[in-house]
Amino acid sequence: MFCSSLFFYGWWNWRFVFLLLWAIASNWLAGTQIDKHLQLGNKDSAKNWMRTAIVADLALLGVFKYYDFFAVELSNLLGSGTAIPLLELTLPVGISFFTFQAMSYVIDMHRKLIKPMPVLDFAVYLSFFPQLVAGPIVRASEMAPQISQRPDPRQVASGEAFQLILRGLFKKVVISSWLASTIVDDVFANPEGHSSQEVLLGVYGYAIQIYADFSGYTDIAIGVALLLGFRFPTNFDRPYSALSLREFWKRWHITLSSWLRDYLYIPLGGNRGEKADTYRNLLITMILGGLWHGSTWNFVIWGAIHGVALAVERLLPKSQIHPVLRWIATFHIVCFAWIFFRAESFSSAIQVLKAIIIASGPTDLSNALLILVLAAMLLAQFIPDSRSEDLKRWLNRRGILTQGLAFGIGLVLIDMFGPDGVAPFIYFQF
Amino acid sequence: MENGTGAELNPQSRSGGFPAGQVFLSGVAGLTLAAFINSSALLTDAERLPDSRSRSLSVAIWTPIEAAASTLRLTWPRTVGDSLLGRSGDEGHITLRREHIEAVSEPQSEEWLVLSVEEEQGPELHLDQGATDTSESIWDPGNPFTIWVLGDSMVQFFGETFVMMAEKSPSVSATAEPKLASGLSRPDYFDWPARISEVMTTYDPDAVILMFGGNDAQNIRADDGRWLDRFSEQWEEEYRRRIALVMDLAASEPERIVLWVGQPPMRGVGFDLRMNQLNDLYRAEADERQGVHYLDLRSLFTDESGNYARYLLDSSGQLVDVRLTDGVHLSHWGGEWLSEFLLKEIKKSPEVEELWNE
Repeated sequence: MFCSSLFFYGWWNWRFVFLLLWAIASNWLAGTQIDKHLQLGNKDSAKNWMRTAIVADLALLGVFKYYDFFAVELSNLLGSGTAIPLLELTLPVGISFFTFQAMSYVIDMHRKLIKPMPVLDFAVYLSFFPQLVAGPIVRASEMAPQISQRPDPRQVASGEAFQLILRGLFKKVVISSWLASTIVDDVFANPEGHSSQEVLLGVYGYAIQIYADFSGYTDIAIGVALLLGFRFPTNFDRPYSALSLREFWKRWHITLSSWLRDYLYIPLGGNRGEKADTYRNLLITMILGGLWHGSTWNFVIWGAIHGVALAVERLLPKSQIHPVLRWIATFHIVCFAWIFFRAESFSSAIQVLKAIIIASGPTDLSNALLILVLAAMLLAQFIPDSRSEDLKRWLNRRGILTQGLAFGIGLVLIDMFGPDGVAPFIYFQF
Repeated sequence: MENGTGAELNPQSRSGGFPAGQVFLSGVAGLTLAAFINSSALLTDAERLPDSRSRSLSVAIWTPIEAAASTLRLTWPRTVGDSLLGRSGDEGHITLRREHIEAVSEPQSEEWLVLSVEEEQGPELHLDQGATDTSESIWDPGNPFTIWVLGDSMVQFFGETFVMMAEKSPSVSATAEPKLASGLSRPDYFDWPARISEVMTTYDPDAVILMFGGNDAQNIRADDGRWLDRFSEQWEEEYRRRIALVMDLAASEPERIVLWVGQPPMRGVGFDLRMNQLNDLYRAEADERQGVHYLDLRSLFTDESGNYARYLLDSSGQLVDVRLTDGVHLSHWGGEWLSEFLLKEIKKSPEVEELWNE
């Protein structure tokens, strides 16, 4: 499994395999040392090992993902032009995901939540190919037992796996790609060239596109892992049905939000102090969460919008607001933040916002099918889990050959309905 | 096959899953079924690959599968589905020669009166009310100065920015039409000469911006079916002929402004070298034509040492990222730089410049 994962990662760029191997070796060693020192009662040494490992992990992220961003900002601030040398490195795919997994391992080890994993098990955990490039961010506590016990080859949940893979492919190939090419890319490239109605539909379209894209990848990853006998945690749970921002973050990219909660928000003090401290902690957590996605100011603004909205939400008397109004407000705050997430620059985001209010261009991109797809995708968020459980049970009751053939026919249908070219997954860049 | 996946006969295993071997075989069965039903599309995809061993291998694999699937009539579900969705596998004949242009440019309805490239010397005649007579030099919102930007994925990354900047004048109408992964090497994937001919005859733009090359450093197939090795003498001859054809189509109107945008410097050394070779060909062909202006982007997107740089200083002395992380495409800011550069070129005609001074 380890070799397969390295081959998978090296297929994209073999040089970065060494980076992955470094992350595996350094964090495994740190984890082992943390446990050893804790056993000996040497808490300071254990803490130092944990800190060293975290610094090393953050250094990896810093060099590859953030150095140029801060160097450019500093250069511009100092007015020194190119005085600060730039690295211009290629961002290794999945670095944000596997470094976060590695950090959770050493922190959980220090918190005595887990035991050291054998080196090969740890290597499999950190490099496991279905989730290596775009998550979900799986904790060692979730994967270690599954790796050590070895999957049972007599009981592969094929029905559920096939269903998840098909669902993910449908979301990515058909929905996400179609929305991108039909309206989203055009609207965000030239908001002033479209009507207010179109720009608004473009923003709604992006909300659905990024959900379909990322949750689609997650579905595929979970499905593939299931075929190999591993079960990943849920990463999306109908996020656009949320009636509050707090609920949204319990449903959107759950493995990242829980990571930020457990390893950043709570260590910062969480909601244990004064209200002002809680608001500050929320803001810091969400801004850093935004920065995790990429080294641009737009991601910082995206995080800040969520941080401020989460803080403001705590001030409001939720019980007195009608659920429909709460849903509308939550969905639109999320969409507002998505504008900054998607736009190429701050000024582009402002252009989109302006265009929603005052643009008067043509409306030839807006059509009944688009509105129908957007409405259907939003309504699907309100379908209870039990319905998809029914589908899973139905598929599980079918014979294995029927499942396989249904899988094949599903692939053909997805390819047929999908556009000619499919863009890479959005979250590959993070 | 059912014997091979014996779980059909083993209902007790259905509650918690099936043995891995049976799941593997059922997956293979499903993928095989999908491959047969989809074999025509997969063979087409294989044929579109750049000439290489993997292309030969892919074509060798999919050709017999497609033949077997067609014989067994397994391809009809996909064919029927594509027809229902309005997608036809028949992409028409490829426009590699001037003599084909007339056929490709045949009027789509009686409203159009179109001349072939070799015949047309004066302004084209359109019967539609919105047609532009380029002999008139006055443009207004009702009769805008029209610009078309055509090309590969490079256009995808700056085209709409250009449209937005150009349309700051109400008397300008701009259209960007990128086709990803396209170029002049593989008309079997996308037939640019046919499309350009169609655009020129149908829309008669006042200015055309063309940008190709990113996907063109590959072997190309000659008329006689032979593959010509990349950058061989014969390859260059054939590729230059295609450049010439496209330039002539775009410059079929003497008054039309035609800008051919060269490839910017690339991060990859080998890729950069190949793009430079292509740039030399574009420049050489443009130099032979009075109506086509070649624009060199190297000075626009290189640092003080003349090398590729992702970050460059803008006019206010601020560093901005002008390229995407792939080391090929332009970022948003890079797109703005290029768009400004292109507009500056278009505005070189005083009559046209006035459009943005209104």
